[in-house]
Order: sequence, then structure tokens, then C-alpha cells
Amino acid sequence: MDSSTFILVLASIMLASTPLIIAVCGEILTERSGIVNLSLDGSMLMAAMTGFVVAFETDNVWFGFLAGAAIGALFAFIVAFGSIRLRQSQFAIGFVLAMLGQDLSAFLGQNYTRIPGPFVTHFPIPYLKDIPVIGPIFFSHNAVVYFAYILVIVTWFWLFRTQPGLRLRSAGDRPEAGFARGVGINRQRYLYTLIGGALVGIAGASYSLSIKIGWSEGITGGLGWIALAIVIFGGWSPVRGMFGALLFGAAKALATYMQRAFPEVSVVAFNALPWVLMILVLLLVGSDFTERLVTIAPKSLQRPLQRLLRISPPQALGTTFVED
Amino acid sequence: MQDFFANHPRVWRAFDILLPFLATLAALGIGAIMLMVFDANPVVAYGALLEGAFGSTNALADTLVKATPLLLVALGICIAFRGGVINIGGEGQLILGALGATVVGLNFQDSPGYVVIPLAMLFGFIAGGAWGAIPGFLKAYFNVNEILSTIMMNAIAVQGMNYLLSGPLIDPVQLEAASRIPQTARLSAAFDLPRLVPTRLHLGTGLAIIAAFLVFIFLWRTVVGYRIRAVGLNSNASRYAGINVPRHIVLSLLLSGAFCGLAGAIQIYGLHHRMFTDGSATGFTGSAGFNGIVVALFGQLHPLGAIPASFLFGALIVGANKLQRVMQVPSSFIIALNGLVVVFVVSADYWRRRMARRREAEEVGEMIESSEAEVPT
Repeated sequence: MDSSTFILVLASIMLASTPLIIAVCGEILTERSGIVNLSLDGSMLMAAMTGFVVAFETDNVWFGFLAGAAIGALFAFIVAFGSIRLRQSQFAIGFVLAMLGQDLSAFLGQNYTRIPGPFVTHFPIPYLKDIPVIGPIFFSHNAVVYFAYILVIVTWFWLFRTQPGLRLRSAGDRPEAGFARGVGINRQRYLYTLIGGALVGIAGASYSLSIKIGWSEGITGGLGWIALAIVIFGGWSPVRGMFGALLFGAAKALATYMQRAFPEVSVVAFNALPWVLMILVLLLVGSDFTERLVTIAPKSLQRPLQRLLRISPPQALGTTFVED
Repeated sequence: MQDFFANHPRVWRAFDILLPFLATLAALGIGAIMLMVFDANPVVAYGALLEGAFGSTNALADTLVKATPLLLVALGICIAFRGGVINIGGEGQLILGALGATVVGLNFQDSPGYVVIPLAMLFGFIAGGAWGAIPGFLKAYFNVNEILSTIMMNAIAVQGMNYLLSGPLIDPVQLEAASRIPQTARLSAAFDLPRLVPTRLHLGTGLAIIAAFLVFIFLWRTVVGYRIRAVGLNSNASRYAGINVPRHIVLSLLLSGAFCGLAGAIQIYGLHHRMFTDGSATGFTGSAGFNGIVVALFGQLHPLGAIPASFLFGALIVGANKLQRVMQVPSSFIIALNGLVVVFVVSADYWRRRMARRREAEEVGEMIESSEAEVPT
């Protein structure tokens, strides 16, 4: 592999990771407020289908993204309403929605499968794209890719550097304390579940409008589930989540490359690889392996390393809160 | 209406029990509107559904056959939910159980059925249990989220199945044929579970119902079952009571997977008599691993409640297939109908619980009033 193909591979990883990055950011917002939206895969599929159909009929990709966001928000609203108002298990609702989205998208989109339609045009950023190496990798994509990276920064800033972000985190971490300070916990949860859902919808729509052109059944290949795992891997932080998504994209690209390099190994091994990898990643994050690793490092580095590697889920994740 | 129920507690209780069925009827009512959108006559359509599910001995038998894996998976799901873990790996565990049972059958093609069938069932049970125990182990000792790990184990199981069925386990006939359909050889006819000829109803249905009673006894009448439920209700309190919490988490996911594996083994020996794949999970399982979760929720996460719930869903699946053939509506209509039933049943349950709470509150209020009246002033 010479350097120019290597750059191309890196650029394709950047492109392929965008839906994952957007979905991870959306889900982080939702989970930081204390709600788990398990319907990710289903709502991404529904959004991919709806987004393509709307874009196809109106001949405008941005309407497609809008429709995808609306569908994602609708799914998220069902999860939020079911868990906050109806006090049902949010995991059960999310799971049923994930299944429903998978089947419903296959059903409703059956007349639109495998037909070419509108897609987001390639839009290299002037001047920046001409920088050697960095230009083709980062700045020679379409608008959705740039949106994903801006989103990571905005989400991080919103969560950790603003007042509304603090209120949002209080809803997921210490709802009682937040409520005592005058935060409408359930309002926060509705709000960020809807916003997160809309982002997940955009991620879904980018599948049929930016990554793969056109709609086909099961277009996400179960990536919604991977996104849920990456949220955990990323310790509920958008920046780390982005690196997780890129790492996953790199591993998939590596698997494709290995497949070509070792044709004698069954293709099944490479298909199963991302899933095995994700289990191992969850294992690594869940065990105290990283903490032990830190103790090897020099004393002065231990504290910053610990801060970097520390993963703590929002304390009240997945619980209901009664305001009274 | 509230007064009426207060005065007739027995009517109220009957209403409680009938509510899921009323909710199902309401969902079918919405389905009727959808049918009208497709220009189909709902009366004819639902007639076809009923006829397809219950219309003849054969139809009824098919309903029971469809309900069997659903019931077994639902039993597994009950155990997991009661143990406080969520098992979404039913599909993978079912596949592993079927693979394990098939391997036993293929290796002892000349042995008598009464040896091989129990051995295969046991092997399916163990294989499914092992596949379920892995996420259980990861959850208990490494704090790995079991929802995600079971889903990933599903994907891995499907890839493993595709590999085995297109390679090591492939039918020798298919190996020579150009088509190379990924399936195993047919198991010896001596291994077929006894069947109620001429229908497809097999012994597995009876086994599943017995299993439901066994799971009920296990969860509510044994010490280990009690501990599993205790861990599920409050793991901290259980730990202080001296229960080894991680071990019981592993155990509940292991048993959960084991019943899903048994479902797979029974599908092979009772129905298909060979293992096959279409590349995805649903080709072999028919989504039983997922639908079983819905069945378990419908049956209020109670093993005995899962029996009528699985029957209802089996009827819905079989009947809806007939409906789709007769009325020529898109096959996904059935899926939408199933989804509607689930949504209605879950919300009806919410409504029932709210009514019950209000009723209790009223009763307490009356008691306070009457006790106050008795106090001499």
C-alpha cells in the first residue's frame, strides 16, 4: 500500500464514520439526561428510509435530512413519553421500537429499494483541501462530514462548558439535587431525548443520502447497536466517542483489507470481527484493567491519565424521576 | 363506572384478566382500518385470520407448532428478567442450541432415537446455556452491559452458523451439487419427535408446556429460584443477605440461554429435521428469539402466563400468514399488526395498574373514614 492509497483509505474511514459519530453524539446527549434510547438501530433505519423517500420525491436532500430528523425525534419521543409519563421500562420500549423500525422500514420502503436518487454533493473546502495529506483526509468531503465534526465540538462545549449543559447533566447524574435547584428534570429529559433522537435521525438519513447512495433493507448493518456500545466506550463524552467511532471505522477498513490479503480465511471471520471487537472493548472499559495500567505510568502522569481514562456513567441513567 | 367496579369486585377481577385480550381486539380494530386503506374487506380478512389459526385441525396444530419455540424462549426471558438482567440474545442462543443438537444427531446417525433425542436436547440446552453464560459472566464480573453484549453475541452466532453450514457441516449432497445450499444433511428419521399424524404437531409442544410448569416451580418453589428473584428485585439487599450476586446473575443468563437453546433443539428435531440458513438470523429462527421477549412481556413475565401468550402470538402469526395469502396485502402488514397488539397490550396494562392504584387509594380512604367513625367522641 503506497502513501496515496493510504490517504484514500483514511479519507474513506472519515466518511464512513460520520453517521456513527452523529448518532453517538445524539445518544450521549440523551443518556447524559438520564434516558437510554435503545431504539437507535430501528430509528436510524426508519430515518434512512424516510430521508431517502422524501429527498427522492422532493428532489432536495436537505428535506430528506429534515424528515430523517423528524422521524428520529418521533421515535425518541415515544421512548421518553413511555418512560417518563407511562413509567414503562425504557429498555423494553426502545427494544420494541428497534425491532419495529427494522421491519417497518423494510415494508414502507419496498418500492424505493435500490434506485438511484439525490445525494449530498461532494464539497471540498477551498484552500484547506490543498494542504498536503491533511487536506484530502479531512477537508475533501461533503457537508455532512463537516457537520459531524462541528457537532462533536459543539456537543462537548454544550455539555461541559455551559449552564444549560450543567442542567442537562444534573438531570442524568443527580436529579434530586438538580430538582432542588429548580431544574425541571423531566422537561430536560424530554428536550434532550428529542434533540438526541433528531441527531440519530440525521445519522440515519446520512446513510441513504451520503454514505451509500439510495435505500436498501437493513442499510445500517446493525450500526445502531455499535453506536450504543461506543457511547459506553467513549465514557459519555463526545470527543472520546468520536475517537471510538473512528477506531471502529479503522478496524472495519482493516478487516476489508485483510480479507483481500488473506482470501483463504473464511469471510465469516471478518464479518464477525467488528462484533467480537466491540465485546472486547466493552470488556476493557468495564474491567479495572485500565486503572491497573495507569499505575505503571510515572507518578506525575498518573492523575491526568486517570482523568483521561475515567469512565463514569450518569448516575441516574435509566431510572425514572418523580417530581413532586 | 368506578362505583360499579367497587360494588362488583368479581367483575373487576374478570375484567383484569380479560384486559390483554380486549386490548388485542382493539388493536385488531385499528388493523381493520389499515385493511380498508389497502382496499380489503376487514370482515373477510379477519375471517381468514381466524380460519388460518383455528379453522381446522391442521391450522390449530400449526398454531401450536409456531407457539412452541415462542413459549420456550419466553420462559428463558422470564428467568432473565426475574433475575434483573435483560436477555436480547435469544436469537443467538436458539441458533447455538440448534447447532449443538444437530451436531449430536449428525454424529450418531445410526443410534436409536431414544438415546439420541434426549442427548441432543441436553446438548442444545447446554450449548444455548453456554452462549447465554458468556454475557452473564461479562456482566457479573466485568460490568459489561448485557443488552449490548447479547446483541453482539447474536451477530457472532449468525456468522458462526453461516460458516459451519456452508463448510464443515454442509450436506454432502449439496457439496457435490453446484448450488451448494447451506444446510446440513437430513437427520435420521428415527430421531423425529413423535408427531400427531397427519398434522405437524409434535411432542415438543408438550415438552414446552411441561417446561413452563418446571420453570414456575423453579422460580417460586426452590431456594436457587428465590435467590435469582431476590437478586433481580434488589441486588444490594441480596448481597447483604449473603447471596453471591455475580454467581446468580451468571446463572439466570445461563438458564435463560439454555431454554432458548432448547427451543432451537426442538425446532430441529420436531419440525425441520435439518439445520439451514439464508445468511441472516431470521431464516432459521423466524425471529422467535425476539418475539419470545414480546410473549414474555405479554404474559406478565410469568412462566404460566407465557403459555396463553405464546398461543395467542402463534395464532396471530399463522393466521396472519393466511390473511396475507387470501387478501394479497403486503406481508409487512402482519408485522405492523403484531406491533399494534404489543403497544395496545402494554398501554392497557399501564391503565389497569393506574385504576388499581386509584381503587386501593379509595379503599384505604374508606377504611380511614370508617375507623374515624368508630372512635367515640
